[in-house]
Amino acid sequence: MSAFEYLLLMGACVLITLPLELFFRARVYRRWRTVLWALVPVIVVFCLWDVVAIARDHWVYNPRFVTGIHLGNLPLEELVFFIVIPLCALLSYEAVGTVLTAVRRRVRRGSLPHTDSSPRPASRSGPHERTDRRPESEGGGER
Amino acid sequence: MSVPEYTIMTVIGMILVVGLELFVFRSGIFGRAKYWAALSICLVFQCFVDGWLTKLSDPIVIYNPQGLSGIRFPWDIPIEDFGFGFAMITAVLMLWQWRLNRHAVASGGEST
Repeated sequence: MSAFEYLLLMGACVLITLPLELFFRARVYRRWRTVLWALVPVIVVFCLWDVVAIARDHWVYNPRFVTGIHLGNLPLEELVFFIVIPLCALLSYEAVGTVLTAVRRRVRRGSLPHTDSSPRPASRSGPHERTDRRPESEGGGER
Repeated sequence: MSVPEYTIMTVIGMILVVGLELFVFRSGIFGRAKYWAALSICLVFQCFVDGWLTKLSDPIVIYNPQGLSGIRFPWDIPIEDFGFGFAMITAVLMLWQWRLNRHAVASGGEST
């Protein structure tokens, strides 16, 4: 199993951040087209950085903990890293946004945060709040 | 070579990303609490993930000591990795917010 250690670590990152999509309304995976816009340039540039760093001997990968599958001289694990970590960042960003919106709404209404210990925003409790923004309201037909 | 290459590339990467945000994309992330909170959270989690990758006792990634400053904190994480992480996370959030802003303008809505 140790050959999969790096990949398993990346899998753990995906699993740990999944609740942000499911329970904190990050809606990152659901806006996958916007995700592609944000991720693809970053993946390309950072893969290039990695390839240069490997070529210039800045670092190497311990053969015990990687599968040995390469794309050119880039280990598969590194490509997975450049997909997973930016996704985690997007999920964090949007989940923080959900929490901040909920907190600000409560502050505006003058109620205290401790009245509801649920981590989810109280989005269905206020009469004046924006409805959860539906994909069509964002244009671009994101799903 | 006086300054190690990975150190130089990290500093250049950070400056490039900040420059892209301030002068090209102007997504406005630097003015949002959302960005700073998410960045802080990501850097904390980076300590655990990167700490595991770089632990000198059983490293997954092995660094050439000549390529970096040699400052490792916390645990055995090369300090440069945080610059690398900052550049990558900032770049992806900048592009994401930039696209969301464009959607919002296109649909006449507000940006989140």
